[in-house]
Amino acid sequence: MADQTFNLPDLGEGLTEAQLMSWRVEEGARVEVNAPLCEVETAKAVVVIPSPFAGVIRKLHARPGQSVDVGAPLVTIESADGVREQSPGTLVGYGPGGGPESGIRRRQRTAAPVAEGAAADVRAAPFVRQLARERGVDLSTVKGSGPGGRITRADVEAATAAEPQPANMPGERRVSVVGLRKAIARQMVRSVSTIPQFTEFAIFDATALVEARARAKAIGRSVTPLAYFVRAVAASVRAYPILNSSWDDRTDEIVIKPAVNLGIAVNTEKGLLVPVLRDADRVDLAAIAEKSARLIEGARAGSLSPADMTGGTITLTNVGASGPVETGTPIINPPECCVVGFGAIKPRAMVVSGEVVARPGAWISISVDHRIVDGAMATEFLTDLVGRLEKIDD
Amino acid sequence: MSLRYAGIRLSLVADVVQVMRAEDPVRRLFSPDGTLTDDARGSLGLDRDALRDFYRKMVVIRRADAEALNLQRQGQLGLWGQFLGQEAVHVGATLALRQSDWIFPSYREFGMAMCRGVDPAEMLTLFRGLTHGAWDPRRYHFAPLAIPVATQIPHAVGFAMGCRFKKTDEAVLVTFGDGATSEGDWHEAMNFAGVFKAPVVFLCQNNYWAISVPLSRQTAGSIAERAQGYGFPGIRIDGNDILSVYAATRAAAERARHGGGPYLIEAVTYRMGAHTSSDDPTRYRLASEVEAWSQKDPVARYRTWLSAQGLLDEAFDRGVREEAERIASEMRDKLAQAVMPPAGEAVYGHVYQHPSAQFLREREEFEASLDQS
Amino acid sequence: MEATMAKAINIGLRDALLADPETLIFGEDVGALGGVFRITDGLQKEFGEERVFDTPLAESAIIGIAVGLALRGFRPVPEIQFDGFIYPAFEQIVSHVAKYRNRSGIALPITIRVPFGGNIGAIEHHSESPEAYFAHTAGLKVVAPSTPGDAYGLLREAIADDDPVVFFEPKARYYLKDEVDQSLRVPIGKACVRREGTGVTVIGYGPTVLTALHAAEAASKDGDSLEVIDLRSLSPLDIDTVMASVVKTHRAIVVHEAPVFCGFGAEVAARISHDAFDLLEAPVQRVGGLNVPYPPSRFEKLFLPDVDRILEAVDLVTTYG
Repeated sequence: MADQTFNLPDLGEGLTEAQLMSWRVEEGARVEVNAPLCEVETAKAVVVIPSPFAGVIRKLHARPGQSVDVGAPLVTIESADGVREQSPGTLVGYGPGGGPESGIRRRQRTAAPVAEGAAADVRAAPFVRQLARERGVDLSTVKGSGPGGRITRADVEAATAAEPQPANMPGERRVSVVGLRKAIARQMVRSVSTIPQFTEFAIFDATALVEARARAKAIGRSVTPLAYFVRAVAASVRAYPILNSSWDDRTDEIVIKPAVNLGIAVNTEKGLLVPVLRDADRVDLAAIAEKSARLIEGARAGSLSPADMTGGTITLTNVGASGPVETGTPIINPPECCVVGFGAIKPRAMVVSGEVVARPGAWISISVDHRIVDGAMATEFLTDLVGRLEKIDD
Repeated sequence: MSLRYAGIRLSLVADVVQVMRAEDPVRRLFSPDGTLTDDARGSLGLDRDALRDFYRKMVVIRRADAEALNLQRQGQLGLWGQFLGQEAVHVGATLALRQSDWIFPSYREFGMAMCRGVDPAEMLTLFRGLTHGAWDPRRYHFAPLAIPVATQIPHAVGFAMGCRFKKTDEAVLVTFGDGATSEGDWHEAMNFAGVFKAPVVFLCQNNYWAISVPLSRQTAGSIAERAQGYGFPGIRIDGNDILSVYAATRAAAERARHGGGPYLIEAVTYRMGAHTSSDDPTRYRLASEVEAWSQKDPVARYRTWLSAQGLLDEAFDRGVREEAERIASEMRDKLAQAVMPPAGEAVYGHVYQHPSAQFLREREEFEASLDQS
Repeated sequence: MEATMAKAINIGLRDALLADPETLIFGEDVGALGGVFRITDGLQKEFGEERVFDTPLAESAIIGIAVGLALRGFRPVPEIQFDGFIYPAFEQIVSHVAKYRNRSGIALPITIRVPFGGNIGAIEHHSESPEAYFAHTAGLKVVAPSTPGDAYGLLREAIADDDPVVFFEPKARYYLKDEVDQSLRVPIGKACVRREGTGVTVIGYGPTVLTALHAAEAASKDGDSLEVIDLRSLSPLDIDTVMASVVKTHRAIVVHEAPVFCGFGAEVAARISHDAFDLLEAPVQRVGGLNVPYPPSRFEKLFLPDVDRILEAVDLVTTYG
């Protein structure tokens, strides 16, 4: 038994209210589904409203002659069925619940507005203003030689001719940034300017991983280290779900995501792409290997669908994949909480039982959102991850 | 010979129109006063199960239609357009065709969709703001809804021309209301059909009202008689007599699929409900008119006839009504669980077969903006 | 081989009919007559009346039956005889051809051919440029070649595309002769640089590309280096090629015959202004038709963008500041 309230729906494509004419039931009466409840008059017609629930009328929320807003309670019924999801009421059109004016979200500004400048009354084309900004030239001090007193490029260049630091040196090349790279640049700025991130480092002993790869190879399966990384990260995330989350600016809440959708950073011609391996904690190693290979190939070929590119909850990248570079500080992929960077597996000097030995090993660096995760938690997670990578039995 | 029938002049075309083409089996099915001849009833080749199935289907679709209106009043659908009163046309015409014959509906033919096998709960998602196309046309051979009036009619003619090019024995049915016969697309399509001898049956459901505009304001002439001007036969039948509908549609479709060309059937019926749930018919028509037409209710009439043939008894009738209740209830329950597709998929996912890079970029930006909010 | 644009389109249609047996060509006067511009000359004779056929005089139905034929598995290539007569078919194109896949999941591989543009001394309704209405309609692809070679390559691509395409043919260029390579396809959604330059980017499509090239030649004598871009595809729009040019030149002009007010140039100009805002040294100029109905032919040269008006725009952007 549960009380369910039926709100007045939008009965005619854009109505905002209706006037209750009469009730066909009383409080305490028992009704079946579709039993006539009341008559209302809208701007278009007089309509009899049938009951969406079976049960006992608990409360009538309006009096005859009263105007009821679309979306406002009409009647409460104690129903024997389980609680049903209330219809949105305003499926089509407006009313108090759903119009285009409602639900305005004031986005958080991520950058300060440009200060009202000295250059307010100055006439200069956008490129000229940009040039002046770069050179540190105050346009209000420049006399314009263009038509109508407009400041020209030449005027700005002349104003900075005396500067010790010449710009537009011969050979200097402007590379326009459009499309994907522009988007990536935006994301980077957003990440660094809105997320307080810190990085922790560890080295793991990859002996077990290398041996597991060899065992797989012996039975004809070629499994990249990436697959093992993905599996281990997904498992660690399952154990520490706080790292699979996002900080909600509006409400100051940490939103922990249910699925572990692992983004894999891929370097492509066009720029850095992060295709997503969904439910990484629910697939076995072979499936991880196959899916990640497909995603990487698809990213390079530019053939992935938007579904493959969205919905990530945590990102994997490589830092120092080749050459002498060991590791680095990866930047979080907003709005995630954590990015895990792996270095190359190579022979390293490690101390085992007091002796210095050469073992295969790799750096792991994790950057995390300090609003969500503190140093102790990061350490625990990283320790768990290292543990999983050092104990591989398959 | 002509009859006055609740204000509509019902004259039988056979007396007025010369048959332009050789074989016209449809007219022989009807006696001068417009009723299906007894011989014709016998020769329809319908066994008792088929005859009872007509009744069952009309009752089921009527119940579903009523349930859909309730759901609209309960805020589960934004809109519903009832087909109450037109069940005989929906069932009779659909069952007269082969499942492989395509049907091109307007926007009211949900009874036909159900007869083709479309799940009613799926159908209703159209009015829940979730999709513009609630069934796969290729699976049911039932084209999508056509909301701009009469625009589906040239589609049907083109499809039928295609059948002719392919030399198949398909027939195509396109259905529309009296209002559609005022649109240019209707005339253009009728003309094309005649010129290309397309195997298409034009089924006009003359339900008397186009929202609030009555037939007398829609045309000064006759709908059925216009077919002659386009070079093929037309006939007016009683659209509330399911056997007449079945007979005429069947004959016209057989004629078309065997190379006889197009045929126009004007099925006279009545829109017992409002134009849609946003409409108030009390503003423009008299209750007495509606009452008069309820005396000619197609389901009641057929029930009477079926009972007189010894094919319907209390038990059967009760069974049919219980089945209708169950289907309506299942439809209601299933609709409540209708899944909302992800926004990116719903808004961008179906526009192009091969979306351009520009389009995909715009979709990515859109989906990214959803993630940020 | 060298061929006029009209011939190139004729050969393109013939090759399309050969390549796919489901291809159909139909419209007013396309069969026996071979088209009022002879674009479909000889095709009915070669392929028969069931593949190339005349229809009654009814543009809405011509497109409407194309929808039905596409559903039935054909690849229809209907012709609208003149730009000014596309309007009766507007509903079928915008309400159905553009939206059918979105509604039903079924792609309609229809290519609607339309001769467009003026400058041929014609009477009313024979010199329209309605491309913006269709570029504005999601679900369609809209293209316009400027050369015989592109007319061939773009037409083959349009017909092969499973999505519906509106193919605008610049009738003033039907008799332009140039190289046609039957092995070359022009992808939809790719613009090209017709003439390289460094000073001003001039963007056109269809009939205005040749005009822009003439303007570039004249401008070079004054020391101005114009880069001419042929959009080829209006929807989808290849803004990347345009941007790569504006990054170099910092100045842009768009040229089309359609009235400037709410014309396609407004979209290009807005995108350039948005994506290259900090690089512009002058506002983006649009050169095109006046905001009036296409005038009687004796006055059409005052309406249409010509070399002089393009050069005026070049002067404006190069002396802006």
